[in-house]
Amino acid sequence: MDAFSAVLQGLPMTIVLTLSAFAIGIVGAVPLAVGLSSPNVVLRLACRLFVDLVRGVPIIVWLFLLKFGIQVGTFKFNPVGAAIVGLGVVSIAYLAEIYRGGLESVPRGQNEAADALGLTRGTTFLRVLVPQAFRIVSPSIATYLTGLLKDSSIASTIIVAEMVFQSQAFARQHPTMEGILPYVLVGILYIVLSLPVAYLSRSLDARMRKAVYA
Amino acid sequence: MTLSEIANGKLAPRTGIRLDNISKRYGDHLVIDDVSLNVEPGTVTALIGPSGAGKSTFLRCINLLERPDSGTIQVDHHTIEPGKVINAKDLAALRRTVGMVFQSFNLFPHMSALKNISFPQQKVLGRSKEEADERALQLLERVGLKDKAHQHPGRCSGGQQQRIAIARALALDPSIMLFDEPTSALDPEVGLEVLAVMRELADDGMTMIVVTHEMQFARDVSDTLVVMADCRIIEQGDPRAIMSDPQEDRTRRFLRAVLER
Ligand SMILES: Nc1ncnc2c1ncn2[C@@H]1O[C@H](COP(=O)(O)OP(=O)(O)OP(=O)(O)O)[C@@H](O)[C@H]1O
Ligand SMILES: [Mg+2]
Repeated sequence: MDAFSAVLQGLPMTIVLTLSAFAIGIVGAVPLAVGLSSPNVVLRLACRLFVDLVRGVPIIVWLFLLKFGIQVGTFKFNPVGAAIVGLGVVSIAYLAEIYRGGLESVPRGQNEAADALGLTRGTTFLRVLVPQAFRIVSPSIATYLTGLLKDSSIASTIIVAEMVFQSQAFARQHPTMEGILPYVLVGILYIVLSLPVAYLSRSLDARMRKAVYA
Repeated sequence: MTLSEIANGKLAPRTGIRLDNISKRYGDHLVIDDVSLNVEPGTVTALIGPSGAGKSTFLRCINLLERPDSGTIQVDHHTIEPGKVINAKDLAALRRTVGMVFQSFNLFPHMSALKNISFPQQKVLGRSKEEADERALQLLERVGLKDKAHQHPGRCSGGQQQRIAIARALALDPSIMLFDEPTSALDPEVGLEVLAVMRELADDGMTMIVVTHEMQFARDVSDTLVVMADCRIIEQGDPRAIMSDPQEDRTRRFLRAVLER
């Protein structure tokens, strides 16, 4: 098998890891972001502690903890599950922080106008604050997604057969100069994969800008 | 039809508002010190006074954007004691009765002018989209901005945005309107468009409380002039009488400063 086919074998797993973790993060970060700006001190501090704890530890440590630390339960013989959960939880923490920044950058007058009109807090959040915050944070979310794509390679350390894992396997079987080839290819592949995200982000940003200010 | 008839679909039931012994502090800092004010149905009250007097805070206490520490608010058979627990029903009733217009407009930038006015009607009053849109268009026409219906606020001038904001508040059929320096962010000429709309609203008999530095508006349109300074109401009464013969030294100094500008 040539180097390119070897790397490509890992492509579906890289995509599955990235998109699953991203999906978990996008949704899971919403309640956490709300908690981070809650007027309830206990809730706010608990959420803050969670975010700082998750972000303070390298992802690889979380993956090892999930893979080897949990002796009972689902992850013992399931590295893929462990990687998705690990990357997903890390994404929740990072994205929650991004959301919070976006929500806080919506001018205070928006909240006051909604209150004065008698809109409920739920309506205000979903229909007034979120659409404005989303436009502000969508570039940061795209940046996070490209970062996550690259970070998914860490799953190779817990025997998840994604692109970097396959590259290593090929390199091990070819202890000549040829062994360097999959790493070059995988590097190019990461860049190629992140291009559509950058493109999507830019067009989304332009569309949102139009929607908000046109 | 007049502005408030359009706003209400019929003549507005005139409602006054009575505030008793309102106090508000931020930490150790007293901002409203035991202020009482009675606003008769269908009258316009102009609230003036130096910067930092507590005018905005007092106005925001009326619809509970700020929560007073003590006092009572009586409006439309509801008595609210902000120092105690406020139940959601009273709060909703208060917010439905009282509309507010801000210095910085605070329109929703991601919605068209029409949607800004239509969306709250659907959410707060449960009107259908068709009904709410129709009402929104009537109001936009009345404030002279029908052609802006499908524009986002960012494409409108300050004066236009403020008129849209007034239409948005009126669309919920309030019986009392609060204005916090509605023209202070506007060029003088543009401010006149807004003042014209407010004047018309006053002529229709809307109960209004207006924080303003527009002395001519205060003199010509308001029924009562209230002067606030240092967290209190220091003087109130007939606007012309106060302006020509203020009883308090503080009022005199303030009026001189405003008029000399
Ligand atoms: N959220 C807040 N926290 C602490 N202090 C506040 C807050 N809002 C207002 N204040 C203070 O309360 C006092 C009254 O403010 P307020 O805005 O009501 O005055 P104002 O009469 O409306 O003045 P202006 O004419 O400048 O608008 C000021 O000293 C202000 O610094
Ligand atoms: Mg003020």
